[in-house]
Amino acid sequence: MTDPVHYPDATQLAVPFFIAAILAEFLWIALKKRGGRYETRDAVTSLIMGAGSVAEGLLLGFVAWALFMFLWQLTPLDMGTSVWALLACFVLDDLRYYWVHRFGHRVRWVWASHVNHHSSQHYNLTTALRQTWTGTFTFMMIVKAPMVLLGFHPALVLFCGGLNLIYQFWIHTEAVTRLPRWFEAVMNTPSHHRAHHGRNPRYLDCNYAGVFIIWDKMFGTFVPEQDHDRPDYGLVHNIATFNPLRVAFHEWAGIFKDMSQPGLTLKQRLLYAFAPPGYSHDGSRDTSAGIKAAHLARHPEDAGTPGFGG
Amino acid sequence: MPLELLLALVLGGISGIAVLLHLTGCSRQVVLTAASARAAWLRHFPGDSVITVLPAASGRAALVQTEGGPGLLWAFGADTVGRHLAVGQVRETGTGLRFDFNDFAAPGLSLPLPERERRTWLAQIATAAEAA
Repeated sequence: MTDPVHYPDATQLAVPFFIAAILAEFLWIALKKRGGRYETRDAVTSLIMGAGSVAEGLLLGFVAWALFMFLWQLTPLDMGTSVWALLACFVLDDLRYYWVHRFGHRVRWVWASHVNHHSSQHYNLTTALRQTWTGTFTFMMIVKAPMVLLGFHPALVLFCGGLNLIYQFWIHTEAVTRLPRWFEAVMNTPSHHRAHHGRNPRYLDCNYAGVFIIWDKMFGTFVPEQDHDRPDYGLVHNIATFNPLRVAFHEWAGIFKDMSQPGLTLKQRLLYAFAPPGYSHDGSRDTSAGIKAAHLARHPEDAGTPGFGG
Repeated sequence: MPLELLLALVLGGISGIAVLLHLTGCSRQVVLTAASARAAWLRHFPGDSVITVLPAASGRAALVQTEGGPGLLWAFGADTVGRHLAVGQVRETGTGLRFDFNDFAAPGLSLPLPERERRTWLAQIATAAEAA
């Protein structure tokens, strides 16, 4: 029997909008001489990562779909497909996104998939499309399972996930400085997300929100962008390649290399895969906590300010 | 959306944007000076104490001496990347120096350097590595 519930693939339908918006942002920057910068190879790498991510969805999307349909058969609940169901699903999915994103920065196995999104030293609309090719292998689709069990149809859950990603596209820009206070208070904005992409110690592990910034405020991870400490984009240890294959797989290669070192205990090997990024068995690397502590040792005046316990 | 249309949009979009960016000068590489290389190094490694910076005459890279040992900073599009250097990561080639970092995220760098500059760099790398 075919399932009657069907929603369009919002992300694919948005491709023409993505291209038009990138051109508009580029023209804006060129005309105004402010609001960001573009670099050819960086932008092309980001766009290829975006195309690869769509391809990965087409090739491996069936894994998540099969899991969700299995759960859908189990649940006795059905929230239907009304506008209210869609709205509830969208908000719940955004909460789901917050936690998946937080895991993506705090668990190296998930970071290995997400790191490529942060690997550009630029911040423009092409950066938004620098998406993972390996999301399926993180098994983070499991975090959507409760939504299906609550009675939201898998097609609705995936549709809301697509809308969430589309919302996040436009916040990857320096062309928009600040929006009205009420909007900044509730919604994720370019300003909040610029902070998230900052490699400055202040901004490490903050602003995980997708659409609603309220989740960060609720769970204590909100750091407002500071005018005196502009976000410096990229990774703590920036990658030195525009090769999409290296961009997509470098952290996975790093995990494998670290786990296969001789002389480690089983616990140490597992920690290289699942501890926060920066873990090392001999203390030779820094996690975000260590980086913040080292910064405060150099700049004690920052203690108690946003991002440093303030 | 039909797959053919999606493919055409993606391929056309990427190609068009690449051509536009290239033709408008967005492919220019950064040129390093001693001052800009020092600032860039401290951006990558804020905890380091930089002793000296020796930019290549081409401006494509700079050899950075820190209290922890030598490091290489090089142009990466409009930006820079840096790596600390360990013993065995640099070798001489016919046209310059070859750096291999044993890092999947940083494939090796072949840096063209004239003979005289090459000698200076190799000597400084050896001295800095010994001092560290």
